[in-house]
Amino acid sequence: MENVPLSRVELGLRIAGALGIIASMALICRLAQVNNVTVALAFLLAVLIIAANWGLTEALVASVASMIAFNFFFLPPIRTLTIADPQNWVALTAFVVTAIIASHLSSSAQRQARQAGRRQQEMEQLYTLSRNLLMMDMHGPLAQEITNSIAQVFALPALAFYDRAAGRIHQAGPAETKVEGSKLRDAAVQGTMFHDPVTKTTVMPISLGGESMGSLGIEGASVSDSALHAMANLTAITLERARARDIATRAEAARESEGLKSAVLDALAHEFKTPLTSIKAAVSSMLSDSDLSPAHRELLCIVEEEMDRLNSMLTEAIQMSRIEAGELPLHRGPNRLSNIVRAQLEKLGERLEGREVKVDIPESLPRANVDPQLTGMVVWQLLSNALRYTPPGSPLSVRAAAGESELVVSVEDCGPGIAPPEQRKIFERFYRGKDQREKIPGTGMGLSIAREIVRAQHGRIWVESEPGKGARFAFSVPLAPGGPLS
Amino acid sequence: MTNARILIVDDEPQIRRVMRATLVARGYMVSTARSGEEALEKVREERFDLILLDINMPGIGGIETCRILRSQGEIPIVILSVRNAEKEKIEALDAGADDYVTKPFSMPELLARIRAALRRAPMLSPGTPEQLSLGHTVIDFTARRVTVGGTEVRLTPKEFDLLRYFAGNPNIAIPHAKLLQAIWGPDYGEEVEYLRVFINQLRKKIESDPSHPEYLITEPWVGYRFNVPRHD
Repeated sequence: MENVPLSRVELGLRIAGALGIIASMALICRLAQVNNVTVALAFLLAVLIIAANWGLTEALVASVASMIAFNFFFLPPIRTLTIADPQNWVALTAFVVTAIIASHLSSSAQRQARQAGRRQQEMEQLYTLSRNLLMMDMHGPLAQEITNSIAQVFALPALAFYDRAAGRIHQAGPAETKVEGSKLRDAAVQGTMFHDPVTKTTVMPISLGGESMGSLGIEGASVSDSALHAMANLTAITLERARARDIATRAEAARESEGLKSAVLDALAHEFKTPLTSIKAAVSSMLSDSDLSPAHRELLCIVEEEMDRLNSMLTEAIQMSRIEAGELPLHRGPNRLSNIVRAQLEKLGERLEGREVKVDIPESLPRANVDPQLTGMVVWQLLSNALRYTPPGSPLSVRAAAGESELVVSVEDCGPGIAPPEQRKIFERFYRGKDQREKIPGTGMGLSIAREIVRAQHGRIWVESEPGKGARFAFSVPLAPGGPLS
Repeated sequence: MTNARILIVDDEPQIRRVMRATLVARGYMVSTARSGEEALEKVREERFDLILLDINMPGIGGIETCRILRSQGEIPIVILSVRNAEKEKIEALDAGADDYVTKPFSMPELLARIRAALRRAPMLSPGTPEQLSLGHTVIDFTARRVTVGGTEVRLTPKEFDLLRYFAGNPNIAIPHAKLLQAIWGPDYGEEVEYLRVFINQLRKKIESDPSHPEYLITEPWVGYRFNVPRHD
């Protein structure tokens, strides 16, 4: 830091003061009739005092004045400025050197004291700032609060803060900022500091862990580089803290809403199924009456079928959300795929309508590490889809085979197949094949439930198909631990 | 033919209404209760042949009601519930229910379940002995009495029918479906968990060490076998 420059008037006054001191010294010595050595020492002392308290200029003026006064009034020949004796040159040199060294020492001491003072002040400011930022209300307009706080603590005439995440520039301080928005953005993006000596502005990037968070535009004030860095770091930490808090709050909210969702679904299961139960009981009771006219029977059949559809949609929706909420506990253990598949074929029973189902599961196949009930649901879903979307009487086949580290179960049909663009979408929730939507009733949830179950068991599910050539749905399941592949 | 007395326990008025209308039309005598507490009170006052019991009710709830009813007598109980997870079925059967029907149900299905629950295999099949002694356990099939070491053990009607069926078909593996159809009726066959629960309860009552059964043997993937030591 340079010295704060003195005004001309002040300097003039000081020089006049220095000259005054030397003149009065000369007068006192002359009246006191002391010897020349004492006079010289007195002048030296005066120069030293001036140098220590004021600056080099004053000290030099004082030393030249002392030299002239000493020469003129005390050194023979008196009242002349000639220096006869070479030792008087020594006296003059002593005055000048003393003046220079003393003023230099004093000014550097002063400078250091001033610097220490400034550092202490900056430390205090940074401490105040960090305390303000720590105690800041995280729910309020944080970026603006940070800007206000910095401007206030460092008494900045103008401050601009560019919050990169929000893409906004906040301003604080009594004056209008001269830093352009584009400069703030550049500093944030490039992560470099700009200093403009003309407008006396500094733009400081803010980043944490290499990630840019914005920039600060400071002007008019003398803030040290280290304080600027500290300021930027404090800002970054505060922003990061707010962000972490936001994320935590959001995660908490998500957890709560997940819990709420399950509770609501549970209530739905009961509340929706109760009226469905009354309707179903009433309709099925009427349908068992043998005196119904064919028209009435047909209408009641429609009511019953639609009621069943509503019920299965509701059941699937509940199941889906339980699986998604992780509420469906997996009871995994070593299980034979042949047993799982056989149980599902038995369950389908009459729905097979005498179709030929070829089951190819080698007895030597190792056991799979799966939940038998949920895996059964996947098999049931694939078989049930195959029955629904392929012509009656067309054959099906179920296979299971060992891969490298997993087992693959597949269900093949000879139906119309699935066009490539639809092959991925059919596993998405509520998606139903374009050609099927109108003709075959369904909820669009079956395959997405199957996918969730397969994923929960760390497997994959996919389809291979060419339009017109049938489809092969397959999913993988992990091998039971210790199960040899042989 | 039927004049069986049925108690419908459900907190939903519409369900009570529709079931009452249908069951009365079928010749059953019907009473209703809105809660478990009310049901227990009615059972103290009147005699019923069957109870249709909803699980999800305010107050003591269906499972607890079922447990209390079962501790008081052998009246057949059919549970009605909106949940169809195996865990819930087993919980209900463990509490002493004879059958479990998932809502919404069709009325013909419920009627079949009611008939199955009311049904007693009245005739002794030709091969069934009148009495059977298995160690300390003595089963008197004519009097429907079971004693273990001289003390009488109470069996529910379904448990007793199951035991009698086993006694008539000893030492052979009986498939699940066959057992279910013989005891519950022709509409049954997939309710393997019913057998699991009932066989467990029977083992607790007649086996000396239920975890290592001597008589009621599980045949993996097939069914069960009743192991009777041959008398020479």
